[in-house]
Amino acid sequence: MIILENIRMALQSLRTNPLRSVLTLTGIAVGIGAVLYVVILGEITQQRINERLESLGSNVLLIRPAYSRMRGVRTAASVINLKWDEAKEIKTTSDVITATVPTYTGQGVAEFKDQNWSTSVTGTTPEYETVNNDHPIEGRFFSEDELDRRARVCLLGATVHEKLFGNLSPIDESILINSKRFTVIGLLGSKGESWHNPDNQVFIPLTTAQERLYGVDYLSSILAQMRSAEDYDESLFDIETILRRNHRLRSDEDNDFRVRRQDLYLSTVRETNLEIANFVIIIALVSLIVGGIGVANVMLVTVTERTREIGIRRAIGAKKFHILTQFLVEAVILGIIGGILGIAGCMGFNYFITGNGLNIPLDWVGYSFIICSGIGSIAGLYPAVQAANKNVIDALRYE
Amino acid sequence: MLIEMNNVFKTYLLGEVKVPALHAISLNIEDNEYVAIMGPSGSGKSTLMNILGCLDTPTTGTYYLARKDVGSLNDNQLSDIRNTRIGFVFQTFNLLPRSSALHNVELPLIYSGMPSFKRKQLAMDVLERVGLNDRMMHKSNELSGGERQRVAIARALINKPSLILADEPTGNLDSKTGEEIIEIMQRLYEQGNTIILVTHEEYIAKQTNRIIRLRDGIIESDEKV
Repeated sequence: MIILENIRMALQSLRTNPLRSVLTLTGIAVGIGAVLYVVILGEITQQRINERLESLGSNVLLIRPAYSRMRGVRTAASVINLKWDEAKEIKTTSDVITATVPTYTGQGVAEFKDQNWSTSVTGTTPEYETVNNDHPIEGRFFSEDELDRRARVCLLGATVHEKLFGNLSPIDESILINSKRFTVIGLLGSKGESWHNPDNQVFIPLTTAQERLYGVDYLSSILAQMRSAEDYDESLFDIETILRRNHRLRSDEDNDFRVRRQDLYLSTVRETNLEIANFVIIIALVSLIVGGIGVANVMLVTVTERTREIGIRRAIGAKKFHILTQFLVEAVILGIIGGILGIAGCMGFNYFITGNGLNIPLDWVGYSFIICSGIGSIAGLYPAVQAANKNVIDALRYE
Repeated sequence: MLIEMNNVFKTYLLGEVKVPALHAISLNIEDNEYVAIMGPSGSGKSTLMNILGCLDTPTTGTYYLARKDVGSLNDNQLSDIRNTRIGFVFQTFNLLPRSSALHNVELPLIYSGMPSFKRKQLAMDVLERVGLNDRMMHKSNELSGGERQRVAIARALINKPSLILADEPTGNLDSKTGEEIIEIMQRLYEQGNTIILVTHEEYIAKQTNRIIRLRDGIIESDEKV
């Protein structure tokens, strides 16, 4: 009853001073919009990382070259010490490792007609498809035969596809990679972004990469698939034994390679991501608090300006409680309208960026409302108490 | 007896200094009296009106309004009394400038919690009684002084108060409009209302049936007209 009246009065008083109201609302809107957008970004990133984690499974190890250390001193760079034969040896020797995928990754420029795009070029073997659970969404992966023949065939990541072909199908088209002609045989699905963009890649047979494109005989990394995640220790032992022997490392020398569990690596990425997201949310919250201070400021001014109105209302029978709620409701309405504008603005911005404005988590829309009305009531409380406690006679005489 | 004031003192504190405003005021007013309060500025008229209107309470002494001891009431109870028993008419009208005449008149009923349709009807009736039926949707800052004062009178009447307090109701009006307002007051008195009116004008005071003159916080004279 009284609350409805209060809402009516609040809307009326906001209309009285439109510019001031809009400026105050904007403070809240920008604040909550920023918070909401950061939250959305964070959630989307988390979702993509989680999807990748699920697709990877927990039983893949990544072997990369590393600097070796001798008595704490870094020895010569040894990024060229991983060999394809070692990948084969690990697979055949170890009982717990079921597959190995050697890869060599270099930089390249892909060209199609008048489009060109700088990208990573990854040479690998057909096992890559099953071990990484990364199947082409169109076309096919290359075969053992093509690997043996050093065939000039390639699969495109989603970004490369989009940059070179837009929406068109790339299959059977001919593109240039570092000025050498390749036939596109497959298109890989988008994996989403994390640190680097895994979609900005072209996959070609390892032999083609090593011999035709880059002229190298070493690898960038080896993926080793374990029989199960419990075989980690034994897998690690096997890998270390083989690689240390091949690299002729003395017992006092550290490994000149590193073995990482892919899932653990991504977990770290996820945690770091979460930390960054939380930090940015805090910054966004600060702007929301500034918006709240704006509301408090405007409410204080309003209360002073309307001293006489307060006096009139009190003289004809309004209780302190009525005055208190009137101004509190006004501040909360400022907060809520600001919240609505902020959410709408956030959706608009999101639409502008991603082409889909509505993929905003609903629970966060709810939280935004609660946060905005909360800020409104906190910001309005002190001015409202001031208003309610004004001396009636003085307020009536106020000019 | 509507009003019984007994030995009322009111003292204001201005910093460290005590300023006496009312000095041993004793006053009885019956139902359906029409009383004028007169006196030079600083005589305590406003203070007396504030206490009579339950906007303020005596420092010492007792004030009974319709047998209720006003001095013992808390802020909420005083608000209730102002809301249901007293109608104010001010020199400066004291309307909400950006609200319609109708909204101004129904305002006291909002605070007494009457449902919207009921109080709208009542407000329209009262506005008709003061001759403003065609201007009730106008905002009060679009009305003339006389019209504003009639809105204020309508607002004072809406709760069927026991007591109408008019503080120089013609003070901001030209004499012709002032007379119209005094006529309305006269009519309200004849309809059975109790009215206390502060005025500087002898000819207005002469139309009431009792004149109380104040000087330096003391009742100087109190005589029937």
